[in-house]
Amino acid sequence: MSDKQLILVVDDDPDLVESVSMKLENNGFRVGKAYDGVEAWEKIRQEKPDLVLLDVMMPRKDGYELCRELKEDPLFKNIVVVLLTAVAESVKSSRYTHQDGKTTPADDYIAKPIDLGRLMDVVRDNLDR
Amino acid sequence: MKHGATAQNLGGPAILVIDDEERIRDGCQKVLCQEGFEVETADCGELGLKMIEEKFYDVILLDLMMPSLSGFDVLSRVKALHPDSVIIVISGYATVEYSIEAMKKGAFDFMPKPFTPDQLRLLVTKALEYTRALKDIADEKSRMRVLIDHLRDGVMAVDAGKCVVLANPAFLRMCSYNGGEAVGLDVEQLCSGSRIESLIDGALSMPEDELVENCEELVRGGGGGLPEAVLSARCVPFRDRAGRNVGAITVLHDITAQKKMEQIKSDFVSMVSHEVRSPLNSVLAQLHVITDGLAGEVTPKQMEILGRASEKIKSLLSLSTELLDLARIESGLITLDKERVNPAEILEDQAAFHEAAAREKRISLELDPLPELPSVVVNRRNMEEVLSNLITNAINYTPEGGKVVLSACTEDKYLKLSVRDNGIGIAPEEQERVFAPFYRIKNEKTRFTIGTGLGLAIVKSIVEAHGGYVRLQSEAERGSTFDVYFPGSDS
Repeated sequence: MSDKQLILVVDDDPDLVESVSMKLENNGFRVGKAYDGVEAWEKIRQEKPDLVLLDVMMPRKDGYELCRELKEDPLFKNIVVVLLTAVAESVKSSRYTHQDGKTTPADDYIAKPIDLGRLMDVVRDNLDR
Repeated sequence: MKHGATAQNLGGPAILVIDDEERIRDGCQKVLCQEGFEVETADCGELGLKMIEEKFYDVILLDLMMPSLSGFDVLSRVKALHPDSVIIVISGYATVEYSIEAMKKGAFDFMPKPFTPDQLRLLVTKALEYTRALKDIADEKSRMRVLIDHLRDGVMAVDAGKCVVLANPAFLRMCSYNGGEAVGLDVEQLCSGSRIESLIDGALSMPEDELVENCEELVRGGGGGLPEAVLSARCVPFRDRAGRNVGAITVLHDITAQKKMEQIKSDFVSMVSHEVRSPLNSVLAQLHVITDGLAGEVTPKQMEILGRASEKIKSLLSLSTELLDLARIESGLITLDKERVNPAEILEDQAAFHEAAAREKRISLELDPLPELPSVVVNRRNMEEVLSNLITNAINYTPEGGKVVLSACTEDKYLKLSVRDNGIGIAPEEQERVFAPFYRIKNEKTRFTIGTGLGLAIVKSIVEAHGGYVRLQSEAERGSTFDVYFPGSDS
């Protein structure tokens, strides 16, 4: 049980968190859940997940900010962060650019709507590295 | 002061004759009354001065040699009182010295005694023309002054040496200047730390055959107890009769409220976009979990229905995305974050990205060899969107085995990007309408092509918001070419 990797799913929509969690659990991962940036920070401190699936637009603390804080913290900077972003969605492009042109030090991203098959590929690729 | 027009309408110009000789007073009065002038007389300098203090006279005839107060004294005092007074000096002692002396003291002209009625009429008429011109100038000055001082926009004029010759109260307020009289200051003292001076430099060095406004947005910091403000500054040179730049006018317009409004609109669009898309994204994920079998066994029939439901949600999602994009573009929000981009890189990216979709339809997607292209300053996401929409359309409306070609070149001062296909083409009567929102060509060939009808409307809005334009050449059954022109960045 404990050798299963832990993934924290963070999104302000509980239905989305549930669907994504079901897919991850079905593929042999342990799953933690959080519904905003502040709660996510607490869960990360307590449970030290291997990977965080992080929504960008959330109440209290948004995904960009949390991601930046994680990557600046020596204790947590090795946790893989994959952003769930609706921002790049309208543009069918292979490039990832933030709306404000800034770069966030995330390891990868998945554009919404999430293709659950692609989600598993992205998660596995990033954990293998 | 009486206004020229009014005074003339009500009884004609007012003339005062100051002379101790009754014969002269009566003669002048008689001649000038015949001309329709209002003539009053004074028999000594003291009385004349008193009358001038009480009333404005268009022309004053003044005898130099009078007992007690001499004509020269009256002349000096009248000039001190009303510098614009037009005075004709009359004297029996018409020597050159006297004339010069009187003119030096500000007399308009000199008339020796004795004079004929004709001479009098001629001289007074000439003096009246002069006084009218003076009045017109004074009126014009006063009108301009009031007009400029009451504008809400800031207005400043400088001379060729960048010295302030005029600055209205609004301008001083916008520059946070409260150091008293600004006329005569160097422009640097008045607007220190702003880019107004460089705008003025640009205007003053503008070639003679050119007259354009130099424009810039200035942000005034929150210092000095003033709230942060955004000002739009425009600067143009003004010229003398020979066409040389002799100064520049700067106009400041406060656009803080407009900027705030844009921010509110932008935040609103983002908020709506998030609120609408979040549940749709979530429903899609839920459907996906079910069709994956993660929530229990699914029958083939259920699978088919859920598949169709997913497609509907997906198209609703892209419709909402495109609608919000269009709203964002049309409210001018996209001009906010522009950057310098390399068009070749974007073209290559887009060609690579759409390769899979083209291959699926056995369409060859090619990128013509690119010439040296200038970089352009655009919103990167928007430029990608323009190409992406055009390529998607080209693939959708080209039958299997067809060809889509991307190319680019520079034309005049524009970067021209082209997407050419040999697909079903667009009939002439449809060509105008394809850029209208929600317009889709409906016939037996397009029935099974899905889309929102917003793609080309978005393309057009984006390109126009960047100061460019779109051209379409198409022939039914032969194919279409969409050319988009983005202005070069050096301008």
